[in-house]
Order: sequence, then C-alpha cells, then structure tokens
Amino acid sequence: MQNDKMSPAERFTAFLSGKPVDRFLCVPLILNHAARVRGVKVGEYNRNGRLMGECHAAAYRRYGHDMIAIFSDTAIIAEAMGTELYYPEDDVPRVERPALADPKDRSRLVTSDWAGRGKLPVFYEAIRAAAEALHGEAPIGCCVPAPFTTAACLRGTDHLARDLYRNPALAHELLALSLEAAKQFAGRIMDAGGVPVVVDPVATGSVLGRKQFETFALPYLKPLHAHIAARGFPVILHICGQTARTLDPMADSGAALLSLDDISMAEARDRVGGRVALMGNVRPAQTLLKGKPEDVLREVRDLCEIGRKCQAGFILGSGCEVPIASPPEKIDAMMAGVREFGRM
Amino acid sequence: MSNSALLEELARAVVQMDEAGAAAAARKALASGLDPFVAINDGLSVGMREVGRLYDTGEYFVPEILICSDAMNAAVEILKPHIRRAPGHEPVTIILGVIEGDVHDIGKNIVKIMLDASGFHVVDLGRDVSAERFVQAAREAKRGLVGLSTLMSTTMENMGKVVSGLSEDGLRKDFRVMLGGAPCSEAFAREIGADGFGRNAKEAVELAERLSASLAMKSV
Repeated sequence: MQNDKMSPAERFTAFLSGKPVDRFLCVPLILNHAARVRGVKVGEYNRNGRLMGECHAAAYRRYGHDMIAIFSDTAIIAEAMGTELYYPEDDVPRVERPALADPKDRSRLVTSDWAGRGKLPVFYEAIRAAAEALHGEAPIGCCVPAPFTTAACLRGTDHLARDLYRNPALAHELLALSLEAAKQFAGRIMDAGGVPVVVDPVATGSVLGRKQFETFALPYLKPLHAHIAARGFPVILHICGQTARTLDPMADSGAALLSLDDISMAEARDRVGGRVALMGNVRPAQTLLKGKPEDVLREVRDLCEIGRKCQAGFILGSGCEVPIASPPEKIDAMMAGVREFGRM
Repeated sequence: MSNSALLEELARAVVQMDEAGAAAAARKALASGLDPFVAINDGLSVGMREVGRLYDTGEYFVPEILICSDAMNAAVEILKPHIRRAPGHEPVTIILGVIEGDVHDIGKNIVKIMLDASGFHVVDLGRDVSAERFVQAAREAKRGLVGLSTLMSTTMENMGKVVSGLSEDGLRKDFRVMLGGAPCSEAFAREIGADGFGRNAKEAVELAERLSASLAMKSV
C-alpha cells in the first residue's frame, strides 16, 4: 500500500515482538461489512466458509487494513451447543431460542464435541480460503465468543443475569462448559492458521460490575487466554460497551492486547497501558457510520497522539464492529489518517 | 406498625433484593389498611428509584436491577387487585420497544423498570418491533411518548420509519419520540426528527419527564 514500508504481516510480527514498525497498525473491526465489499448478502456470507474467506480477502484488497477479522455473530459457540438462531437475509443472525431457557429441560444442550457442529466449520474453511487469497500478506484473525457471552446465549441474557444471584451453580456449570467449547473452537482456529480474537460483549461494564466480572467472567477468560498463549499465539480480548470499571481485571486476564470501545483511551492508557497493549476506539456508529471523513481523521489524530504514550503498544481500531452500512470512504479515512498521524 | 414504617419496609425490601420480604410487606400493608396505591407509589417506587440511583453511581448493575424489580413486581401483584380508587391524574403513557431487526432488550427492560417506578404507564411492545406496530400502539394510546431502542447500528435507520409513520397518521403532534441505545446520539435523534436521546436509564427517565411536560404545555 502507498507510503507503507512493511506489509501488514510484517508489521504485526514486529509489533508482537516489540520491534520497530513504520506506523501504528490499523485494525478497523471489519466483520460482516466484508460481505458488502464483495457485494453479497450477509445471509449468504455467514453460512459459506469459502465465500466468507473471499469476502475478507476482498475487504483487505479494498482497504489494506492490518488484520482481517473473520466473524458472523457472538452466538456461534452457543449455536454449536444447542441454541437456535434466526438468520435474516441481509443482517447478523440472532438468538431465537436459547438452549437452556428452561434449566429443567436439558434435551437440547450439547455437552461435548462441539467443534464440528453448528456453523463452526464455516470458520475453519473461511480461514483457509482467506489464507489462499492473501498468501501470508496479512494476519487472519477469527473471533471466539468468550464463555460469559456464550453462557448468555445459552440461557438468555436476562436469565443468566438473574442466575448470578439465584442460581450461581448453574451459571458456573454453563460457564465451565462454554469454556471447554471455546477452547475446542480456538484450537481448531489455530490449527487452520488463524489468530483467535476473544470477544466478550455481554461481560461489558454496561451489564456487570467489577466483582461480578471477577467472579463470573474473569475465571473463564484466564484459562481460555492461557490455552491460546500456550500455542504461541497472541491473546487479543475485545469487550465493547463501557469498560472503565472492569478495565483492571481485563488487563489481568492474560491478554496481550485489549480492544476497547466506550472508554477514554487516555484513561485506559494511564491505568493499564504500561502492562497491556491497547486497541481502539474510533466510534463505530457516530463516526464511521454517521460522521464525515474529517471527523474520522480528527479522532484518528487524537488517538494516535494518545497511542504514542502507550508503553505496551497501541493499535488504531474501531470501538466495535464497523457498521455493515458504513460508507467505504470512512474506512479509507481511517487508513489515510493512520498513515498521516501514525508514522513512526 | 405506622404507615411510614410500612412504606419504609416496602422500599427497603426492593433495594435489598428481598422478594419474599417485599411480598410479606405488601401483605402486612393490606392487613393494616394502608392504601395499596400509596404502598406502590410511596413505598415500592421509592425503593426502585433508590435502586436507580445505586445503578447510576455504580453500586448496582444489571443483575441487581432485575432482581430488585422482581421483588417490586412480587409486591405489586399482591397489592394491585386491592386498588379501589383511580389515581388523581392519569399517568402519561409511554410506548416502549426495541426496533425491528434487534433483539437486545436488556437496556430497554431497565428503562422500562425505571419508568414504571417513576409513575409512567408503560406499554412494552418487546423486541424486534416493526414501525407499523409502534404506530398502531400510538393510535390506540392517542397521546403520550414513544421510546425506541437499539444496540445495533444496522437497525438505527428503522427508527426514522416510526417518526415518519406517526406523521403520516397525523399522530406526531400528540406524541414525543425518544431514543436510547449505544449507537444513537442527540444528533441522530434530531436527524430523524425525534425529540431526544437518553444515554442511560437515568437520562431516559429525566427526558421522559421533560417531554411529558412539553406535551402537556402544547395541549393547553
């Protein structure tokens, strides 16, 4: 890409080993938006691994971002465990029927061998297809829903929230099961050459307090992160929403990189930026969907300034998924901004 | 037991997430002749507003709000059949729902709980609600507020359809429209012709109160 002296893969490797890079890495979370770039409906994209991989390769050719992130929805592991999803024609699938809405009815809960179930195999295929198209030029990330988020999709979020008080044993049982499934899925992703990106949107500080996070989310993130680190892969954790209250335990989870959303990046840097790398947080809806390219540039400039003082490293990212309908020129502006303001 | 002690007991049971205690306090209130309407408004709702404050200051979170509201509802179920007289003035109706295409309703449920506790009559349409259903509910309610929520940027645009649907039906002047949810903003509310945006449950209640006042002024 223009003015760049390193390929995204070279930059990623250098970043992880603490070696010099030509500029900040830029990883807008282009997830389902990749379907738009390739001109297919989201409903086709998310059940066809080859097509999904091609969409992300096409998005990379279009934008030149520093890591692709293969993703459909945050219920994929719960789906492999028995939750039923509804598939809109051109939007993100959503939970239709949680596997364990009634804890007495366990007939639909799948308790082992999840990696080949639901649409999980779609992702192994997508990683392989993207790898064929990219020839090692850019790293390939693939999202792994964390145990708390999976448990919420198994029970229904409001049921799980009440379980934390009324039936903590059931919550822990589902969390432990969800952890095993996440480890299996992450293992298969790594086998295929993908970098697991752990996502835990339900364990956000917008829903949980710090103590609840430490009791019900953190103990299941840690072993998942250790499982990924043991294979020599970088551990990336994304939690969107407000995370000011849960930032410290997030930084203690064994993650090497935290992807953040609704929090002041300067505050995050001052609190945990010395021990964990940070990524974020151009506003997805207000700026990438609704703002002007100048708004994107302004946010990128401010974030790059903050990022320069992140001791453990900084990656420019979007706070959460780039909205499917984001105009491409906004993502172009992010890339142009990082080349202008993020040079080393 | 004095009325004020009974009211305090009702409020405390809600704040302390004590469902059995709230039910017991409600029965005690009935037995001692406390007006059930007063028990709800000056007891349970006071407790729920305190819960809202604790949420706002970061002492309570979503799980606590849900359990507290379960305690409140357990007591309301006991008191409600005994309400004899109509309240002094009709409460303002707010039609609430998550817009079509989105099923994330935790935020909407929290806002509903807090609006309930603040004396609004909440018509909850649930999640994945079409613009047509919002407009139909508005037609039935005749006047009041409409609260739209979404967590997803893909479904934001559907909110504009509710505003234009109300206009087409000639209902817009009798309703105030408010938005909630992470991707929305005050600017977006203005863009689609809505009347305001609440960033969290506390702001949503304050906004609903402000918009109700403006609705009442307009009708004079």
